[in-house]
Amino acid sequence: MKKIWLAFALVLFSIGCGTQNENLAKGKELIKSDKRRKEERAVREFKLALQQPTDNAEAHYLLGLYNSQEFYEPHTTDWEAASIAERGKQMFLAYQAEKGKYLERLVFETLRDDDLDIQNAALDALKRVYKQGDQKRLLSQLQKAIKSSDNRDRHNAHWVLGNLGKDEPDTIVPILVKLLEHRRTETRLNVVKALGEVGSEKAIPALAAVIESGSAKWERDREEPEVRQLAVDALGKIGGTAVPELVKIVQNKGSSLRVDAIRALAVLGDEKVVEPLLDALKEQSSRDVAIPLN
Amino acid sequence: MWRFLLIKSKVGLTPFGAACKPKLAMKWEGEKMERFDKLRYLMFILPLLATIVGLGCDNQYYDERLQMQVQQLDSDLKDRWSTSGVVVLDTTPNGPADKAQLERGELISYVIAEYPIRSTSDFNNAIKNGLDEDNNFVLYLKDKPPLRISLRRQGDKVGLSVKGNGTVRVEGIRPGTPAANADIQIDDVVEKIVDERKIYSLDDYKKTIRKLTKQSVTFRTTELIGVKIAAVSALGDLGDVRAIEPLVDIFRNNTELSLRKTSISSLQRLVELSVLNQLFQQFQRANVNQLPADSLQAQHLESAAILGLLTVDRTENTATLKAPFGTQFRHRSEALYQKINEGQLAELAQEYIQIGVEPEQEIRRACLAILGTLKPVSAIDALVAVLENPTEIPGIRFQAGIALRQIGEPAVEALIAAFESGDTSTKDIAASALGGIGGTQARDRLIKALENASESAIQLTLVDAIAQIGDAPSIQALERQRQQYQDDDDSGIRIFLDEVFKSLAQKSM
Repeated sequence: MKKIWLAFALVLFSIGCGTQNENLAKGKELIKSDKRRKEERAVREFKLALQQPTDNAEAHYLLGLYNSQEFYEPHTTDWEAASIAERGKQMFLAYQAEKGKYLERLVFETLRDDDLDIQNAALDALKRVYKQGDQKRLLSQLQKAIKSSDNRDRHNAHWVLGNLGKDEPDTIVPILVKLLEHRRTETRLNVVKALGEVGSEKAIPALAAVIESGSAKWERDREEPEVRQLAVDALGKIGGTAVPELVKIVQNKGSSLRVDAIRALAVLGDEKVVEPLLDALKEQSSRDVAIPLN
Repeated sequence: MWRFLLIKSKVGLTPFGAACKPKLAMKWEGEKMERFDKLRYLMFILPLLATIVGLGCDNQYYDERLQMQVQQLDSDLKDRWSTSGVVVLDTTPNGPADKAQLERGELISYVIAEYPIRSTSDFNNAIKNGLDEDNNFVLYLKDKPPLRISLRRQGDKVGLSVKGNGTVRVEGIRPGTPAANADIQIDDVVEKIVDERKIYSLDDYKKTIRKLTKQSVTFRTTELIGVKIAAVSALGDLGDVRAIEPLVDIFRNNTELSLRKTSISSLQRLVELSVLNQLFQQFQRANVNQLPADSLQAQHLESAAILGLLTVDRTENTATLKAPFGTQFRHRSEALYQKINEGQLAELAQEYIQIGVEPEQEIRRACLAILGTLKPVSAIDALVAVLENPTEIPGIRFQAGIALRQIGEPAVEALIAAFESGDTSTKDIAASALGGIGGTQARDRLIKALENASESAIQLTLVDAIAQIGDAPSIQALERQRQQYQDDDDSGIRIFLDEVFKSLAQKSM
C-alpha cells in the first residue's frame, strides 16, 4: 500500500516538474531582479516560454506587459511584434486561456500602469474581449470599476467605456445613461466624461436632462454643478445636433452654464452660433424697472 | 432569527399553520371594510395632495398681477456668479410688466420698495418693514445723498426719532447707534425710505412680492457680465464678419472696462485672421483642406500656425487646416477681409492709441497691434505722435515704433523727421525702427547721423540699427567707426562694435 502511495506521489512530482515552465520562471525572476536591461532579457525568456506547451497564459500576459518597441531597431519583425496592437493581442490571448483571472487583472491592474503604452495595450486587449470574448462579463466588470471608490478605477473605466462606445454606441450609451443615476457623484462625473468621449448624438437627451436639473425645485433633483459643467463639455465634444442644445443653454438666461456653453460653441466654430451670441450681447444691462399696478 | 419569525407570526402578518387561517380571514375582511371607509377621505385628500405637489415641483410661476412668467435660476449661479433671483420667461402683451418694458430674459435680483414719509407713523412703519429680514434700508434726506443704514443684529435700534406731519423732520439722534454714525443732523427733512430686498429663490420672490407691492413695484435687474465677456471672446474666435459692428459698438459705448478690453482683443484677433485671407483663399479656391506647404507663402503659414489654424509638416511638405475651426474659416475668410479692408477698424485703432482718448494702456496696446497688422499709411502721423509723446509709457512708445516698422517704407520720411527733432528716447525708437525697415534712404540717413553723433547712447542705437540693415555700405560705415575708436580701449562704442562684428561674422558663417 505504502509503495503505491509513494509511486503516486512520484508521478505527481514529475508532472509538477514538467508543468513548470522554466523560461517563464526565469523571466519573472529577471523582472524582480535589479539586473541591467532586465525587461529586455525577460521578454526574450517569455518568448521562449511561449514555445513550451505549458503556462502559456501568463507568458502571453507578461509579453504583452513588457515587450516594448524600445528594445528593437525600427521596422524589424521584432519591432512590429512589439506594437501596441500586438501587445494587446498577447494580453487577449492570456485572457482566452484564463478568462476570469485576466479580465479582472486587465481592468483593475493593467490599466493602472503609469506607462501609456501599457494602458493602450490593455485597451486594445479589452476591445478584443468586447468583440470576441465574454462581452457581458466585460461590461459588468467595467461598470463595477466605474462605480468603484477608487478614483483610478473610475477614471480608467470611463476611458475604456468611452473608447468602446466610439465603435459600439448602441450598446454603450444606454449603459452609461443608466449609470447617470448612480449615487456616487464621482461616478456620474466619469460617466458624463465617457459620454463626451463616445461622442454619440444618442446621449444628447440624457445630457440635456442633467444640465436642466440645475433649476429643479428640490435640491435632491439637482445634479452637482461640476457634473453639469462636464455635461456641457460633453455636448461640445459630441457637436453636430448637440449645437442647438448648447445654443438653448446660451439662450436660457437663468442657466449657470451659459459661459461654459459659449466656450464649447466657440471651439466647435459653427456658423449657426454667431446669431445667438450677438443676441447675448444685446441683453439689457443692470437697471431699475418700475411697474405701476392698477 | 427564529424569535423574529415568531413575533411576526404572532402579529399575524405571516400565516403560520392551518389553525390560524379562519381567524386571519375574518381579520382581513374587517380590514377591507375599514379601508373602504378610508377611501372616502382619500377622495378628498388625493387631489389636494396632487395640487400641492404639482405646484411645489414646478420651477416656474405665473405672476397674476404683473402678468408675467418667471423661472427659478440654476441654484449654483449664486456660487459661481454670486447672482440670485428669478428670470423673466415671458410677459403677457399689454400687461403691467410688458407696459413697463421689462424684457424677456431679464434677471430680477432685487425688489425695491419705496415708502414716502408724510407722518411719524409712515416713518415708523417704513423702518419696521425695511428692517424686516435683511436689517438694512436706504434713507433719503432732503438735499443729501442717500444713506444706507444697516443694523448689525436684528432688534438693534436705528436711533432716529422724527416729528411733524406733511413735512417730517429729524427730532433726535441717539448716540452710539447707526444713525449717529451717519451724516444726519437734527431738523433734516426725511423724504422717503427705500428697501432693497434681495431675491434668493422663486418662493422668496412670491413672498416678497406679495408683501411689498401696493401701488407699484420696482425691480432691480442684474446683467451677467461674464456671459457677455464669454460671447465677445467667442465671437473673436469664430472669425465671422457679423461680429465686427457689435464689437465696435461695445468697445466705443460700453462702460464696463472688462468688456471693452475683451472686445478690442477680439477685434484684434479678427484683424489677425483677416490678413491671412490670401492664404485661406488658396485653400478655398482649390476647395481642399490640405495643400503643399511650399506652394504657400511661408510668413502667412507661420502666422496661421501660431494662431492655431493649421499645421505645417515640412518633411511631408503639407499644410493642413485644423478642424473644425480652420476648415470652416476658409468659407468665411473673404467676407471678413472685405469688411476689415473698408478701413473702419484702422480708424478706430488710430483714435484709441492716443492717451488722451483712452486712459487704459492695455487697450492702447491692442490698438497699436491692430495698426501693426493692418499697416495703414494713414496712421503714420498718429503713430509718430505716440512715439514722440513724452507722457506716454516707454513700452507703448516703443510699440508705436514697431507698428511703424511694420508699415515699412512709407513711414521712413516721418521716422527720419522724428529722429532729427526728437528727444533721446524718440531718437532711440525711431533709429531702431528705421534699422528694421532698411532701404537706401533709411540707411544713408542713419550712417550720416552716426558720423555726426557725439552722444554715446545715440551712437550705440545707431550702430545697432545700421548693423540690422547689414548690407555692404552699412558694414563699411561701421568699419570706419571702428577705425576711429581703435586706440580708445575704454570706449563703450568700440566694445559694442567688436561685439557687432563678432555676431555679423557668425551670421555669415
